[in-house]
Amino acid sequence: MAQKPKVDPHVGRLGYLQALVTEFQETESQDAKEQVLANLANFAYDPSNYPYLRQLQVLDLFLDSLSEENETLVEFAIGGLCNLCPDRANKEHILQTGGVPLIINCLSSPNEETVLSAVTTIMYLSSPGSGSPPELTTMPVVQCMLRFSLSANTRLRNLAQIFLEDFCSPSQVAEARTWQAHSALGIPLPRTEAPQ
Amino acid sequence: MASSGGELGGVFDHHVQRAVCDTRAKYREGRRPRAVRVYTINLESRYLLIQGVPAVGAMKELVERFALYGAIEQYNPLDEYPAEDFTEVYLIKFMNLQSARTAKRKMDEQSFFGGLLHVCYAPEFETVEETRKKLQERKVYIARTTKNKDHYMTKKKLVTELKDTKDFRQDFHSRTSGPCAATLNTSTGNSDPCLPYSCELPLCYFSSKCACSSGEHMGWASDSSRDGRNRAQTVEHCMHNDSSQKIQMKPFKNSLACPDAQKATTSSEAVDRFMPRTTQLQERKRRREDDRKVGTFLGTSTSSNEVMIGPLLPHIPKVDMHDDSLNTTANLIRNKLQEVISSVPKPLEDELEDVRTSRSLKQRRRI
Repeated sequence: MAQKPKVDPHVGRLGYLQALVTEFQETESQDAKEQVLANLANFAYDPSNYPYLRQLQVLDLFLDSLSEENETLVEFAIGGLCNLCPDRANKEHILQTGGVPLIINCLSSPNEETVLSAVTTIMYLSSPGSGSPPELTTMPVVQCMLRFSLSANTRLRNLAQIFLEDFCSPSQVAEARTWQAHSALGIPLPRTEAPQ
Repeated sequence: MASSGGELGGVFDHHVQRAVCDTRAKYREGRRPRAVRVYTINLESRYLLIQGVPAVGAMKELVERFALYGAIEQYNPLDEYPAEDFTEVYLIKFMNLQSARTAKRKMDEQSFFGGLLHVCYAPEFETVEETRKKLQERKVYIARTTKNKDHYMTKKKLVTELKDTKDFRQDFHSRTSGPCAATLNTSTGNSDPCLPYSCELPLCYFSSKCACSSGEHMGWASDSSRDGRNRAQTVEHCMHNDSSQKIQMKPFKNSLACPDAQKATTSSEAVDRFMPRTTQLQERKRRREDDRKVGTFLGTSTSSNEVMIGPLLPHIPKVDMHDDSLNTTANLIRNKLQEVISSVPKPLEDELEDVRTSRSLKQRRRI
């Protein structure tokens, strides 16, 4: 970004973001795709970029990337979504374009950061108490969070606990507990250790 | 405080320092070499883990160094944490997240008593309540930041219809009009001080246009009553080259639109998604030519102060030259003639001319 000639910071910003999107769409190098996606996801942290990101349909790009086979791309994409979903307009866009099932799928990922970002994204997409989109507090999701809340991974445990306490009703949690006793289950816990 | 977890010798993945990326494309290389990493609110934390501290009994100096970035709530060495020989690992908890972020950014890879520090976040030390508060604060911060921008954009909505027409008009001037509009908006949307008359249009009202998008033409006029975001999508279709919808009214501010666009073409070409880069130079040149050609007529916009609300009737060109830019030019000439006939005084025209010329000059110099 330091290389790109800028007339005025925000004009340069849009052009730069567009260049990133273009590169992501055109490149065949997985490394380049990862770098670019990470760059976009980090931009998604700053609210001043949201209008640009919406304009360039980066939200859709993130959602599409959730289906990639490359785990790193998924991790970065859900990270990007996690960064920008607290914003109301972004949140509505994600909900309206049917992004929720894709995000829920990320709960099954073996990648720790992916799961953490997915849990946080789900929380930001929900509203506390009742009022969140019902697909965010379905039985499988609540069950999954219950399992996470028993995990040895502190970060995951904390997030799951917050979800169960703030975004689920006690009856939902109780029901999930009884179900869990019966079901065969299986959303595996993510890896937490660095590969040796 | 929870222990850092893991078996002996195991570290958390997010504590491991990643290799710096050296395969970045030139245009996106930062000032410092960095690893490929995404930082989310989950990863960031008030807790910082500092590895690689030389074991020379310098804890006090370390803490003082970090305290430059913000108040520290607590700190302690982590004796059980796996560390290289002769180094120690410390945990520092800042009072607020922003200090921690700054400290991490500044202190990572810094030299300290002969060793290189590796600083990373340690969110696993947070309690449930701290995590909850962290997530909540992030939400509030975003709501506050976007609320300010929304308020700004709502104010502009009132004059959007007015501005829309002129922007469409300038968009017709160049095939890849999107960049101009977009860049115009980006510069104005942020009250760029170097623009004497900023058009102050919010960015989201215009989407990036693709040269190869269909020539389908939708009545732009009907958009004027719609929300900006929706308009952005329909605008995309309007951009295309249907000269039958020439816009009549142009407040004098319109003339600024073009210079801004010209000024910004260096980065604006990037907005055109599907244009191959090798043709950017030609495209830019052509666009500059078009703009300059048209630019001489822009200053002649009517100073009609009526607020345009609702659909504008389409204007059928008298002569169709089968070329969009030519048609645009012809219409502008026609309009100028009409205006001269009605002879509306325009005191600011000269000034605008100068601004535009100087902008054009500047633009040329850059190339």
